[in-house]
Amino acid sequence: MVDDTRQRIVVATYACVARRGLAKTTVEDAAKEASLSRATVYRTFPGGRDELLEAVVAWATQDFFARLYEQVQGADNLEEVMERGIMFAHRSIVRHEVLQRVMQTEPEKLLPALTVESNRVRRGIADFLVPFIEQRGVAVGVDLKEAADFLARMVLSYISAPGRWDLDDPVQVARLVRSELLAGVVAGPAAAGPAR
Amino acid sequence: MPTRGTALRVVPAPVADGPRDARHPVTVGTTGDPDGNGAPDRNGRHRVRIVDACLVCLARHGTSKTTVDDIARRAGVSRATVYRVFPGGRDEILSAVVDTEMARLFSALGVRLGAAGTLGEALVGGIVEASTRVLGHPALAYLVEHEPEMVLGHLAFDESDRLLTTASRFVAPFLARWMTPTEAERVAEWATRIVLSYAISPSSRMDLTDPARATRMVETFMLPGIRALHVAGVAPTIDITPFPAVADARQTHPSGSNLGADRHRRPHAGEAT
Repeated sequence: MVDDTRQRIVVATYACVARRGLAKTTVEDAAKEASLSRATVYRTFPGGRDELLEAVVAWATQDFFARLYEQVQGADNLEEVMERGIMFAHRSIVRHEVLQRVMQTEPEKLLPALTVESNRVRRGIADFLVPFIEQRGVAVGVDLKEAADFLARMVLSYISAPGRWDLDDPVQVARLVRSELLAGVVAGPAAAGPAR
Repeated sequence: MPTRGTALRVVPAPVADGPRDARHPVTVGTTGDPDGNGAPDRNGRHRVRIVDACLVCLARHGTSKTTVDDIARRAGVSRATVYRVFPGGRDEILSAVVDTEMARLFSALGVRLGAAGTLGEALVGGIVEASTRVLGHPALAYLVEHEPEMVLGHLAFDESDRLLTTASRFVAPFLARWMTPTEAERVAEWATRIVLSYAISPSSRMDLTDPARATRMVETFMLPGIRALHVAGVAPTIDITPFPAVADARQTHPSGSNLGADRHRRPHAGEAT
């Protein structure tokens, strides 16, 4: 029940943010959108607006991960997991209207929360990758956890700022995965990528 | 900081640590500009003094509580002098601080990269130098702690892309001794990502200010990746000079392909890979 209320408030707040941005979204707006009283919102989020906005970012991140997980289901190997994951993640970020709009108009409000969240995301990606790396086998002298953390950091870096890589092009993504990402991490030759 | 310079102004080379720490206190009131006649060389000298004074202020009070008066007092110049050198006032000084610190970082990087004898040395030296300067920067540390929004904006999404481009354009020519210019740009960008990631979210396992750790990073993850970039042929390949660092790194990577052998015959443009 508590979780339902929480969820309802978070989703309502997200809708408010999507409509008018972070700065103009108040606890009152969120309460109204959720058809709940202000008191209920404050009971659920004693930290008020800041706690609420943090919860929204966390919720949006979880939602992203759930969809990412779906995307890589059925992938045959680590290379494919990374390729599919990177392409999906990049697409979702670029096409995430709310994220993009808030980043354009009020980055200073979003960035601190996003930075805190990115540490959690990094650990999430690393934990997610560990079993795939284990299954694949690490190169001699490579520490599994260190490698997973390295890969998570790099994935975050590329999906948020692709630089010289075109992450919409499967051939380029395959090269990226097999060079800068996995070449030092995994044992043996990489699984074949898409034809050039 | 309000604006960011992608086009870096050339600034006089800094003294070892700059005059902004306790060992080199800025003497107040001795080299002011009472007549305000502002000859160009004097303006240049004032410029550096003002920028360094601003750095001290930032390291103590951040941007919001630093005023032009604070900066002038610390620099030992009059308010009028500050405005003559920086007509735009505080915002222009802050922007000059960013440009100056970037130029100092790049000039130190250039020295390390230029002195490297092998690719491995260049990467390790560059990563240690950049990580040490970024993490040991008092003003940056204060801002990250107290005014993160001033810094984070430069490290996210499009801004991060611009930073990657600026840094990798500077670093790439140094790496082009060992690979094609296009590969060098990718590798420089990659190294920048690594430095930024571990600087923004430090890792207890991988402190890149420690040369031993940075060497491990380069030998474990980077050199095999660079070898794979070659094999994948991210660009039409041209002749390269030998790749001694990779040959060394093979000790730790017996499973990798032998680039030490590759270096004797690199495929040329048009040749099947």
